[in-house]
Order: sequence, then C-alpha cells, then structure tokens
Amino acid sequence: MILRFVEGVGEKTIHTLSSVYEAVKFTAICLIHMVQPLSYNPAMRMVLTKQIYFTAVGIIPLFIMMAFLFGSVIIGVVIVLATEYNLQDRIGSIIITFVIDEFSPFFTALLISLRSGTAINTEIAVMKVNKELNTLKEYEIDLINYLFLPRIISGIISITSLSILFALIMLSSGYVFTLFYMDMDLHSYKNLLIDAIEVQDLVILLLKGVSFGFVTMLIPIYSGLKTANSYTAIPISVLNGMVKLFIAIFFIEVISLLLQSL
Amino acid sequence: MLENIALIKEVHELMPISKAEALAQEYLAKIALEDIGLLRLVQCTPTDIFYVMLIRALMSKEMNIIILTPFYLIHDLKSIQTILENMQLLNNNKEITIFDIITNEIHYEGCLCNTVK
Repeated sequence: MILRFVEGVGEKTIHTLSSVYEAVKFTAICLIHMVQPLSYNPAMRMVLTKQIYFTAVGIIPLFIMMAFLFGSVIIGVVIVLATEYNLQDRIGSIIITFVIDEFSPFFTALLISLRSGTAINTEIAVMKVNKELNTLKEYEIDLINYLFLPRIISGIISITSLSILFALIMLSSGYVFTLFYMDMDLHSYKNLLIDAIEVQDLVILLLKGVSFGFVTMLIPIYSGLKTANSYTAIPISVLNGMVKLFIAIFFIEVISLLLQSL
Repeated sequence: MLENIALIKEVHELMPISKAEALAQEYLAKIALEDIGLLRLVQCTPTDIFYVMLIRALMSKEMNIIILTPFYLIHDLKSIQTILENMQLLNNNKEITIFDIITNEIHYEGCLCNTVK
C-alpha cells in the first residue's frame, strides 16, 4: 500500500519534471532561433507580417472601444476611491501606477490570449493532427523558424504596442471623467500625469508587454504541438493550453508585483 | 496555393516572395491551372491538390520524386495518362517514379511509361 503510494508520487514527479524540462528546452530553442539572423528568411518575414496584422491590427476597433469603456469606468472608480480616502494629492501617481504598470499590460494580455492564443493553439493542433507539420519537416522546413518564431515575435510586438495604446486611451478617458467629476481642466490633468510618471513605469510596461507577449504565444504553440493524433484531442489541447496560459499570465503578474514591492 | 508552392524556394534558396510566387504561377500555367493560384486548400479539387503537391516536390532540391498510389489521392481518376502528360510538361530534369498496387494495373494499360512488376 505504502510502496504503491510512493511509486505513484515518484511517477508523477518524474512525469512533471520531464514535462517541465521539455517545456524549458522548447523555450530555450525558440529563444536561440530568435537571435539567429538566418531564421529571418523571406517566408518567415511574410508570416510575421501577416501575424502582426491578424493579432494587432485586426483587433484595433474592438480594442479601442473596450479600452475607452473599461478605461473610463475603472479609472472613474479609482478616482472616486482616491477622493473618498483623501488621496487627491497622490491621484496622479495612483492613476499612472494602476494604468501603466498594472491594468494595461494585464488586460491586453488577457484579450490577446482569448483571441489569438486560442486561435494559434487550435491552428497548431489541427496542423499536427492533419500531419501538415510532418509534411513541412519532410521538406526540411524548420518549424520553429517558419511557424513558431513569427507567432512569438508578433505576440511580443502586438501585446507591447497594444498595451501602450490601451494606456494612452485609458489615460485620455480618465480626463473625461476628471473633467466632469472633479471639474479639472486638461492642462492640470496633463501636468498631474507628467509629474507622476517615471521612467520605471515605462520600463515595467515594456517588460510586462514583452513577457506577456512571449508566453501568450509560446504556451498555445507548445500545447498545440503536444496534441494527440486525433480530432477529439484538439479541444482538450486548447483547454489545457488556455489553463496553462492563464496560470502563466497570473504568475508573471505576481512576480512583477513582488519585484515592484522590493 | 501559390504560397504553398513558393514556400520551398523561399526557405531553401532564400528566393524573394514575388519571384518565388511568379515561378509557382508559371508552373501552374504550364498545366492550365493558373486559376487556382489564389485559392485556399478547401476550394481546390483533389486533382488540383495533387498537382500542387507535385509542383512543390519539383521545387525541392531532391532529384527523385516518388508518387505513391495516385488513384487513392485522386478519387475520380480514370486513367493515369493525363497525369503522365502533365508531368512531362512540368518536369525538367527530375526522376519521377510512381508506385502503385497490382489491382490498379488496369489504369496503366497503353500508357507511355515503363511498368515494372
């Protein structure tokens, strides 16, 4: 009985450790390919352009609308709470920290995960089941360079740039709220934000955008690659991929908060 | 389909996309299939897909091309003769071999090809 329990724990530990090792190895290989100039052949550049278009450009109308709606409501709540707790003198730094450091990259990562992460996970899983990946390998086409790298780079570029756009829209919609609620003019609002913003905030925004972008594409790709060879395995692969992706996004968020609190 | 064919030259010979796609279009035009250039896989017939696969193989550096049981790839194929003629139009210098099963032998009767049993 005890022996079986120990064997079970050992088996699960070995399985988990080997999965972690494989995932880390895959990540390292992708990173190595990312810095090699030879990876950037014409076909890869074409896929990269298309991926940036699908991930970042196609979503812009919906994204702007959501940024404005969510932005004005949430920034309104923040301003009301800050006023209630007599923090009017620190309202600029509260808005900057909340919008730039936390909300913009996190919300963008969630939105892109739901839209592009699922699509990429399904795409790779379908290619795996249809043996299209094998065909590409037969023709000696590097899967990392042709399929994975453009998606990962597009994720990094898209999430970083959309996070900046989200922050700008959210800060602008914040002005609309302060105008009506606090009767603050544009000049005062602008100065409030300029006085509060620091280089550190921009660095955090960029670093989080890059990290979120990397995992938002890498995890669905890896999950799609691990799909079993049947059509019924595709939804399971997407489900597992999305759960892992959300855990990773929350993990990055927690690590970022811990590092900022040091 | 053009992207599908052009990919081989773009990756292996770093050929610019426009040039590789023009070459792919040229190959499709040789067998009067230039119309499928901009179609997606689901919009093509099994015959179109077969020719795209063949042209893609011709684009590779390999000198030997093996086709396995073409009568399973193209369901409505009555005789192999049309394919053999189109292969001659497309092929420049590669060795193309067809492997098929003995029950399909009837389809090869009277064809301009060597049959080895």
